[in-house]
Amino acid sequence: MILNSLEMMFGGQAGDGSLTTGDLIAGVFKRMGLEVYTYKDFPSRIRGGHTNYVIRASEQRNYGMADAVDSLVAFDLEAVQAHIDEMRPGGFVVFDNTSETVDGALRRSDVTWYDIPLAKIAKEELGLELVRNTISLGVLAALVGMDAGIVRADVTAVYQRKGEKVVDLNLRAIAAGEAYVREHYAGVPSGYALRAKPDGDRLIMMGNDAIAYGALVAGCRFMAGYPITPATDILEWMSKQLPKFGGVVVQAEDELAAITMTLGAAFTGVRAMTATSGPGQALMTEAIGLAGVLEIPVVVVECARTGPSTGMPTKTEQSNLNHLIYSGHGEIPRVILAPGTIEESFTLTTAAFNLADRWQLPVFVLTEQALCQSKATLAPFDLDAVEIDRGELIADGELTFGEYKRFAFTADGVSPRAIPGVYGGMHLAAGSEHNDAGVITENAANRARMMEKRMGKLEAMRDELPRAILHGVADADIAIVGYGANTGPIREAVDRLAAEKIPVRFLQLRTLWPFPEDDVRVFVHGAHHVFVVENNFTGQLERLIRAVTGPIDALRGLRKYDGRPFHPIEIIAPIRGIAAVGESVEVR
Amino acid sequence: MAMLTAKDFATATPSWWCPGCGDYGVLSALKSALAELGKQPHEVAFVSGIGCSGKISGYLHSYAFHGVHGRALPVATAVKLANRDLTVIAAGGDGDGYAIGAGHFVHAVRRNPDITYIVMDNQTYGLTKGQASPTSATGYVASVSPEGNPDNPINGLALGLAAGATFVARGFSAQPKQLVQIIRAAIEHRGCSIVEVMSPCVTYNKINTYAWFKEHIEDAALRDDHRPSERTAAFDALTREGKIPLGIIYQEERPTLEERTHLPQVPIAKHDLHGDRGRYAALLEHYR
Ligand SMILES: Cc1ncc(C[n+]2csc(CCOP(=O)(O)OP(=O)(O)O)c2C)c(N)n1
Ligand code: SF4
Repeated sequence: MILNSLEMMFGGQAGDGSLTTGDLIAGVFKRMGLEVYTYKDFPSRIRGGHTNYVIRASEQRNYGMADAVDSLVAFDLEAVQAHIDEMRPGGFVVFDNTSETVDGALRRSDVTWYDIPLAKIAKEELGLELVRNTISLGVLAALVGMDAGIVRADVTAVYQRKGEKVVDLNLRAIAAGEAYVREHYAGVPSGYALRAKPDGDRLIMMGNDAIAYGALVAGCRFMAGYPITPATDILEWMSKQLPKFGGVVVQAEDELAAITMTLGAAFTGVRAMTATSGPGQALMTEAIGLAGVLEIPVVVVECARTGPSTGMPTKTEQSNLNHLIYSGHGEIPRVILAPGTIEESFTLTTAAFNLADRWQLPVFVLTEQALCQSKATLAPFDLDAVEIDRGELIADGELTFGEYKRFAFTADGVSPRAIPGVYGGMHLAAGSEHNDAGVITENAANRARMMEKRMGKLEAMRDELPRAILHGVADADIAIVGYGANTGPIREAVDRLAAEKIPVRFLQLRTLWPFPEDDVRVFVHGAHHVFVVENNFTGQLERLIRAVTGPIDALRGLRKYDGRPFHPIEIIAPIRGIAAVGESVEVR
Repeated sequence: MAMLTAKDFATATPSWWCPGCGDYGVLSALKSALAELGKQPHEVAFVSGIGCSGKISGYLHSYAFHGVHGRALPVATAVKLANRDLTVIAAGGDGDGYAIGAGHFVHAVRRNPDITYIVMDNQTYGLTKGQASPTSATGYVASVSPEGNPDNPINGLALGLAAGATFVARGFSAQPKQLVQIIRAAIEHRGCSIVEVMSPCVTYNKINTYAWFKEHIEDAALRDDHRPSERTAAFDALTREGKIPLGIIYQEERPTLEERTHLPQVPIAKHDLHGDRGRYAALLEHYR
């Protein structure tokens, strides 16, 4: 019997309700005091197409998926076909056999099968096929011991809006699921059991919610955006909340408008942001240079998905890093922050606004579908730790008429900023090269000095950037570098390798640009093997590291580009291989 | 604060425009209109695109934003939302507004923010040396259309009206008095005002010269069928064959973007960002 550890997958057709039910179960597990992580793998269409929802629950904090799933709730044959290989021996399958059967090799004998005509029960006993999801919830409750009180309370809360009748129907559906198991599978244990513990003061939240919430708390009061998966959640969240806090959200006509609106609002003194994904980011490129040359603080969230072009809109990838670093004609300073957890999605977003204001430049928050659309349990954010630093913003009454120079040369390259409406601060913010007063000029000496002023910010700001985090055994011979959504699977791999007495250290980069050269150089130095883990084909991060380290044999890429995040075993296996060969790895 | 004159809205920046360029007339009318309305330079935010016309933001003493080609309107819309106390004016060329910026033009107009948009129409691309613009006549011969421009000219004001513009007017840069009146009315209008100004390019457009315009324009107000409150009549005036009508062609009162988005009266740019901790914390309840 496996206690309090379960990775469960719901699979069916898009629109079947797997996602709602998945969310509901995640909530139940959380309230049972377990640590939860969820991952959505859904197709880019509204109805039909295979979709699945993975929920991992255990006593330890999880930041990613497990190697294999323990249980599969398959609403159709396709879900079995697609995922039976991902199942752990000893796991169990709940299969809706109303109209399809599973046989042959698909019907693995090393897992327990529960064939349950979910749709039939829904239709015949409850009069509505739609509730088969809720029946499956009852089935699971009976099989793994989900807390009956919590399940019923959560179902009631979710369906309350739809009225008494709907609540009642769903409660009866749960009972029907439980009853079916009792009647037909009384002596067939699932092998798994969950026991409720005190929930404690915890949240369960999606990455995109944490970014949006972070922006609000950081004082963002203007957002313009154009819907694009997987960034739309942020636009939706902000549309709901910003007006309540005196702010405004604009659904722009395209990404060019979204980013230029963001610039307009930021120029006028409001903390402003936009959020997008690859294709939209490509359109925004034009205005990124403008933000840099006008020294306007803006925050741009990129929720990366699989490219190129429209790629796989609902799948994950880390292939836009180069684009963010180099996008735009000409050269401007920019910052790229990459949260690795949902907590960091919050903290780094708040940091992004301060960095943008303090250094007057565009700051990107780069995240990926695998992180920004995942949910996890976490401790409530520390709101007292959030500071709002607006940088050198000139207040009304501080200027004498006729003396203000918007782009004044200063030691750190930051010129005090007057916003429209401030008496005496009139200036031209010109996208063309300009002098310290904002007057357009092609003077050679001024041009060189302006370049140095703007680009110099990157060096001046280094100490204020979020530092990389070192996980694992500090002096291990085997090292890993990675960022973003891969932080979770890498951390788990490091922990599990440690348990096998294979020490590994992991450098989680949180600032990707300006590239943390010193941290990376120090970290890579002395390691016999450095794995650079990333979700792309060309090894974008690895190339950046090579630029810092020069030719080095120790470096090797561990890359995945099928649109899915890493499973820990995919990182563990190659490292184990090296350790087994004994290749200069000291096993302590 | 003392009443200002047009001179107070002038910068010392030397002009890059050719002598005789129609854009001088637009600039001077704009400065007079602002002074006559009693505006202060720090209360004015001026946004322009790229082109000879876009250079105007460098010559007007105010808060000014000279962005990228075609994107003045989204910037101006956001400036207004960020600080509704400002007088927000956007300006640019016919290429800037009706070619690369056509999408933004239609959408800014339909949102109806309280801003003024001045299109300086010279029927050519001045800054890139005389190619056909969206308002050039069919057959217009230029470097990229040596056989004559194959495209139909766009009717910017009719397009704006179709998109739901609440103020549509046209002026001529060589008729300063009327132009000042039009710009004043546009700034005073609550909503998105479009002002197209015929602004001859003396260097590249040898067809649509000052003399040509004088011959082809008429004052709309002088026609007895001119009724700026009627949309169909305004369409008629803008699209009928014959002389180019000048003056306020259409005007209507409709809720502005600021009103429709329930923007607070106090400009967002002036909000205190520190006070809401309790309300932030309350939002987390949803995630427990
Ligand atoms: C994205 C982009 N494409 C092209 C250009 C080159 N360009 C500069 S001004 C201009 C056209 C200007 O025409 P118009 O808006 O009519 O202004 P005018 O110069 O005639 O006043 C073009 C195509 C540019 N600056 N940016
Ligand atoms: S090229 Fe034409 S539009 Fe440009 S400044 Fe000269 S006259 Fe004016």
